[in-house]
Order: sequence, then structure tokens, then C-alpha cells
Amino acid sequence: MWSYIIRRLIYYIPVYLGVILMVMAILRIQDPVAIHLGKNATPEKIAVTKKAFGLDKPFITQYATFLKKLVTFDFTEQSWDFPGVTVGSMIRRSIVPSLSITVPALILTTILSICVGMISAYYRGRTVDKTLVFFAVLGMCISVLVYIILGQYFGAYLIYKETGHELFAIQGYEPGLQYWAHYCLLPVMISVIVAMGYDTRFYRAVMVEETGRDYIKTARAKGVTKRKVMFVHMLKNAMIPIVTQVMITLPFLITGSIVLEMYFGIPGMGRALIMAVNAKDFPVIQAFTAVFAALFIITIILTDVLYALVDPRIRLS
Amino acid sequence: MNKTQHTPSVKWLARTLHIAAVLALLACSSCSRIDEEGKVLRLPLRADDPKSLDPVQGSTVYDNKATCQVYETLVQYKYLIRPPELEPLLLSEMPTISEDRLTYHFKLKPGVLFHDDPCFPDGKGRELVTDDVFYSWKRMADNGNNPKSWWLLKDTIKGFDEYREQQNAAVEAQTGSFDYDAPVAGMQKINDHEFRVILKQPVQRFMWVLAMFQTAIVPREAVEKYGDRFGRHPVGTGPFTLAEEDWRPGQRMVFYKNPSYHPCYYPTEHMPSDVAAGWTKDAGKRLPLVDRLEFQFFVQDQPMWLSFRTGKIDYTQVPDEYFDEAFLKRTKQLRPKLVREGITTQNVELLDFIFRGFNMEDELLGGYGEKQKKLRQAISLAIDLDEFNEAFYSGINTVYDGPIPPGLEGFPPDGKADVSYRGPNLERARQLLAEAGYPEGKGLPRIEFYTSSGRNNVEQTELLKRQLGKINVEINAQIVEFSTLIEKVHNKKAPFFGFAWGSDYPDAENNLALFYSPNAAPGSNSFNYSRPEYDRLYEQIRSMPPSPERTELYIKMRDMVIEDTPYTGSMGRTRFYLINPWLKNFKVTEDFYNWPKYLDVTQRGVYPSEN
Repeated sequence: MWSYIIRRLIYYIPVYLGVILMVMAILRIQDPVAIHLGKNATPEKIAVTKKAFGLDKPFITQYATFLKKLVTFDFTEQSWDFPGVTVGSMIRRSIVPSLSITVPALILTTILSICVGMISAYYRGRTVDKTLVFFAVLGMCISVLVYIILGQYFGAYLIYKETGHELFAIQGYEPGLQYWAHYCLLPVMISVIVAMGYDTRFYRAVMVEETGRDYIKTARAKGVTKRKVMFVHMLKNAMIPIVTQVMITLPFLITGSIVLEMYFGIPGMGRALIMAVNAKDFPVIQAFTAVFAALFIITIILTDVLYALVDPRIRLS
Repeated sequence: MNKTQHTPSVKWLARTLHIAAVLALLACSSCSRIDEEGKVLRLPLRADDPKSLDPVQGSTVYDNKATCQVYETLVQYKYLIRPPELEPLLLSEMPTISEDRLTYHFKLKPGVLFHDDPCFPDGKGRELVTDDVFYSWKRMADNGNNPKSWWLLKDTIKGFDEYREQQNAAVEAQTGSFDYDAPVAGMQKINDHEFRVILKQPVQRFMWVLAMFQTAIVPREAVEKYGDRFGRHPVGTGPFTLAEEDWRPGQRMVFYKNPSYHPCYYPTEHMPSDVAAGWTKDAGKRLPLVDRLEFQFFVQDQPMWLSFRTGKIDYTQVPDEYFDEAFLKRTKQLRPKLVREGITTQNVELLDFIFRGFNMEDELLGGYGEKQKKLRQAISLAIDLDEFNEAFYSGINTVYDGPIPPGLEGFPPDGKADVSYRGPNLERARQLLAEAGYPEGKGLPRIEFYTSSGRNNVEQTELLKRQLGKINVEINAQIVEFSTLIEKVHNKKAPFFGFAWGSDYPDAENNLALFYSPNAAPGSNSFNYSRPEYDRLYEQIRSMPPSPERTELYIKMRDMVIEDTPYTGSMGRTRFYLINPWLKNFKVTEDFYNWPKYLDVTQRGVYPSEN
């Protein structure tokens, strides 16, 4: 198993190096210093700033320096947009708010979607199935922005206006479990509603596919109840697609849900990155994209390992 | 179903309800923290975050709004007086100015203390002295501070430009560090509370600059102690203090009343209408009037609007998309429902100059010959700014001739100058187009038009296309990122472009500087307008005090620019505010931002209809 993991790691190292190379090159297509300094920057000022940030050095030197920083987890470079704030502190302080939304949302979405998907598959072709699929498709068709706008209006504003009780915050974030429900529950619910449409259809399809397999027929032939077949035999065998679906989502836990974070004022990773992009905050964009790329690759490796654990044939091939 | 089948479901339901109850309790427990003791102002900041509270590094309105709660300038704007006037803040009196208007004699107010902070011995804030003023200004010259505001003092104080060059050159050549103790000929200390500033030439804007937050006074100890983090750890003399932990990035800033704030009082000087508005009741009271000031950041308009409607914030700007919700479309009157709730409204015309500029160095559109001039004039005459105003701004903006915004000397009466090439006048536009050598637009290539992709610029560009299409002028719209737009304009690659300029101080000189040839791109003269006669006039007005003669020159320069048409325009935005009934003394302005110290609050959340 270890050799398999090492093989995967070695395989992805050049991929990661390539990704970093590409990110760095793209970020330098336009002069980042001139863009950051804006309208009134003099050539003298641009030159001084470039030198201060080491951007006057050859590209390959900059590449090597940045890789060294990544390997040594050196994120002490300062944000251009927020002088005095290091990239590392921006990453650290935005991880928890992102996770406060995405982790509960993923767990709830997965559990609910699997349940609904199984119920739908169980009643395949019947009214229950059709109704659930109808709502899943409906849920998918509506933009997340609509849910957010309606959620904020009805869930936060109207409840408070009508009852005087502020069940959910219109926007904002406070660290600490005691504030979680107030600030995060509404965005989590919206996130679950949005994601459930896609996931329910996916899990339903997985379950339906499984119902046609031989082991299901055998189990039924042996007299196992339909419910047991579904919830024990089938669920166990459907784990690979379920794991895949969950693992694919994992990197997004860190990047957060950009739109939700923007509208609910949650200072997460997605929002931090978008703000950095808007402000042309070069060091932040560079570091965030490198971290995100690393997380994606780690997730892919983890997924491969999980597959290999579940099905040894994958390892051998 | 039998009983045994029910049991797990019932347990599950009970657990679910239990969890829900816990969550609801948690939610309510967080509600209770909303109410705090003391008088608290809760104000919105329509941005993600200020970038830095270091005055020399700030440049945006949001930096300004936050910085000037903590730091102070030598002079400030009079709160209730319009048009704007200056008064002493850190000074004991306004400076005396020599007859040749080159020498300014300043006297600092005694007993002004910096905030208590560990950077000082025993943590007690020391008194502000002359050296602090010179040190703070010299920081603007230090390239190591990445200052964005050097232009404010450039070519102004005797020997300062030379000092800047020498010091930065020494740093660059690694032969020394930036020496803040090195003398500047024009900065003369008399004693700890008096100093003289000698200018290179009379510069009228100098006093306005001294009211700008970039020239606020900082203590050297704090800068040296906090280094890179100084912008996050402000230590000023202002009415409020801000601890690092009270600045929650992307969330809010919580300022506390400065207990050792120097004596400052609510003004007695006011406009006649201020009495009826209730803005004179607190005259003579010691400032600040509240215990705490919270700025809440809003990136999106809906949360800001809903927060205002739930009373979470004390006032709000009215976002464009909520204009109809707040006002009756036809009369622009506040909706009766809001009036019943005790909400009031105020509006302010920004010193705004929204325009579409031509690159005067462009082969097709630029130049000063009759042909090119007539082409630009024809384009200008084909554009109907009133239609833009109605379609995109509910008709609330001010459309006017020339680059001088409403409220400043040189603004034409009713916005209409004698020389005018403002449309729509299609007949004249067609005639000028023909005289330019393009009858019915024949032979005129497509014009490259650059604008940024923000807000509703795509829709605005469509309207522009349609309007210009009426005289057969076609544009090739390039909707680009703002950074790309700046780059194109900087490099003189944008023949026709959409831009805006907000005045830094209430003097039209600031806007007229946009056409001064030494400011050509990448400077603020994005048009690359270059007329020696205009330059001479600009150099003349730069040093003139306000007078009818200066206003005459402003008008002359304005009309010269209108005639040459290096841009089409103009439009100035009007910003509408809604104010909750418990917020007192709020007199809207967009010229300065240290006014929270004048504000007061009564019981929050109590609307008249609920009494």
C-alpha cells in the first residue's frame, strides 16, 4: 500500500510544479506592480516596488524562491492590499469560517441526499420517486443567488421584523460554537438546498444502477427483505461512487462557497481570494492558488488511496 | 404499524427536536450579545475593509473613513457649514500667512495627547509637538512607506522635493537609511508648539491638503515599534481609539471613545436651516458624543439594506436597486411608509465628474485641428446624458457642461455653459461630422471604446452604441477589467474610454489639473490634453487665492476644454441617504469623514409608530 501511495505522490509532484509554473506565469502576463499601484504610479515608483518584492529578478529565480517558500511553509510575505498582514495569517484566519459552513453543509447534504436518493430508488417509477426527482430538478434549476436573496429576506429580515427575534443574522460571523447557529445555519441550509438537487439525482442514479446487479438479485432470491437489500447490501456496494462524490467536494470545503461568503459577510477563503483578485493582491493570489492546488492534489491522492483500499484491483493495475 | 416499529422513529424525532431546541437556544444566546451598554453608533462601510490605517498608505474613501476616527489633521472642515470651510483641529488657531503667501506660521494646540499605548514610556500617550508634524509629513516622502499621497505635497514646500530625492537615493544606493532628522528648508521649528512652513510658490490647495487624512499626525514611537503592523495598530490623537483585536477583517471595526481626547466641542457656527433640522441642539457639548463607534462592512447591497431596515445600522446610502423601494419614482419623495417610521432622508451631490474621454494623441480622434475637433464635438452632441441618467440612475444625477462639478466655483449656472457641445443635438452633430470629413459617418472607421466591466457598464455601452448609431458613428466596445482599462489609458492605447474623477478637495483646481499637460498619462491627465495656453493658466490659478479673478480664469479654462472636447460629459452623482430616527446630528457630507464624533444616538430600534 505504501508503495502505491509513494507512486501516486511521485506522479503528482511534476503536476504540481507545472501548476505552480502556470499560475506564476499567468499572474505575470500583465505587470502586477503597475496594476496594483494604479493610475498615478510613476515608472520610478513601479521600479522601486518591483525591486522591493523581488519581481525584478529572472522568472526562474522567482519560481525557485516561491517553491522554497511553499516547501518550508513560509507564508510570511505581506499582502499588498493590506500592508502589515501576512499571507499566512490571511489563510489561517479564513479557514475556520469557511469550514464552519462547508463541513456541516457537506455532511448534511450527503446524508440527506443519500437518504432521499435511496427512497427515490426504492420507489422507482412511482409517484414518490417522481415527486422527489421533480423537486431535485427544481432545486437545481434555481440559482444559488435566488436562494440567498430569498433566504436573507424571509429567513433573516422578515422573521426579525415580524417577531422581534433575530433567529438568523442577515450577515456577519462570530467565532465560537455558541454563535454558529445564529450566523452560519442559514447559509448552511441554503447550501444544502442548492447541493441536494445535484446529489440526490446522482445518488438515485447510483442506487438504481446497483439494483440491477447480480448480488442484489441473489440476495432477493435468498429471501432478504427489500429494505435490507437496499440499506445494507446495496449501500455498502455503492460506497465507491459515494466516496468519489464526497472526495470531489473536499477541496471546496477549504475554498469555501464564494457567493455565500460574499452575501453573508463570512470572512472565508473564497471571499478572501475573490477580494484579492479584485484588488490585484499579487502575493495573496499566488499563495492561495498554490495552496488550493496542493489541496486538490492531496484530495486526488486520498481518493486514489481510498479506492485502493476499497478495491485492491485498482492498486494492482 | 405496531408499537415496536414506532419506537426508533419517535426517538429520532425526539433527538431531532432536542438538537433544534439547542440550536434555537444557541441562536437566542447570540441574540443577547447584540445589546451592549453605552451609546453606540453603528455605521455601515460599503466596502470589504479599509486597507491600512497608516495615513500615508491610505488612499480610498474607506481608508479615510476609518483613519480619521483615530488620527487628526492640523485643520478640519466645519461640520455644519456649506460650502465647505476650514477651521483649526490640532492647531490652536488658523495659521497666519505672509503677504507673499509663502510663509505659514502654525501654532499647535497645547495639551493634545496621543492615545495611551505601549509604544510610549509607561504606556501613557505623550503630548503632540512640532516634530510629530514634520515627521508625519516626511513619511510621505519615504518610498519605503509605499506612500500613495506624495503628490499632495509635491512641488509645494521649499526643499522638500530635494530632501525626498536625496533620502530615497541614499536608501536606493544603500549608502544610508532614510533620515527623518535631516532638515528641510521649508520646515522650520520655532518651539514644540510653533513652526513655520515656507512654500516654494504660493499653492492655494495647501490648506485643503492639510485637512486630508493623508497628512494626519502620527507618533514616531508607534511607527518604529509596530513597523509593518503600524497600519493595523493605529495610535493617534483622535476622538476614538482602535485596538488591533477590535478590527475584525471583513467584519467590523469597533472604536472606543478616547478618554483623554483634547477639548473639542460641538460647533455653534451653523447654517440657518440647521436649527429646524435639530442639528444645533448639542452646540457646545464636548466631543465625541458617543461611547463607541462600530463600522460594519458590507460588500453586497442587500445585507446593508436589510440591516438598515431592521435597525442594525443607523443610516444607509440608498443603493441604486433600492431607490424605488425608498422613494416614489415620480416625485423622488420618501415613501410614506418610511416617513411613518420616522426615517428621514438627505442627499448630497458628489464632487463628481463622470465622463467619456478621448485620447488627444490618437491618430483618428486626437489632435487640435478643426477636423478632429469637429469629430469629437459631433460625438459629444450625439450623446444624450439625460437618457443615461434616467435609464441607469433614476434621473437623480446632475448632467452639466465642463469638468467643474456642482458646488464649486466655475460650475456653469444650471449646468449649462455658453460654449456647449452637450447632446442630444443630432442635427448639429451630423453637420459637424460632415464638416469633419465624414458625411453621414462615411469613411469613419469604428472607434475603439474601452470601459470597465463593473456595475452596469455593459448596458450603458449598449445605450452609447445606439445613441452614436443615430449619426452613423460606430464603436467597437471593449469591456475590460478595471486594471486593463487603466493600463490601456496609461499606455495611451485607449482612443475613447469611460472614466470618472472624484475631487480630492472642494476646489475646481483639482479637476482642472486633469488637463494640465505635465500630468499626461500615466498621470491624471488621461486625455493627454496639451495646450500651452491652458498650462500657463493652470500654473497661474494654482497659486491664486479664491477671488472673482480666479473664478474668471476657471471659467476660461473650463470653456477652453469644452471647446476642444477632449471628453464628453459631464455627469455628477447624487447620493441619497436614509437615516433612522434615533440617529442625531447627522448632516450628510462626502467631503470629509471625521463627523462621527458629532453624532449621537437615542434608544435604538424605537420607531415612532411603535411608541
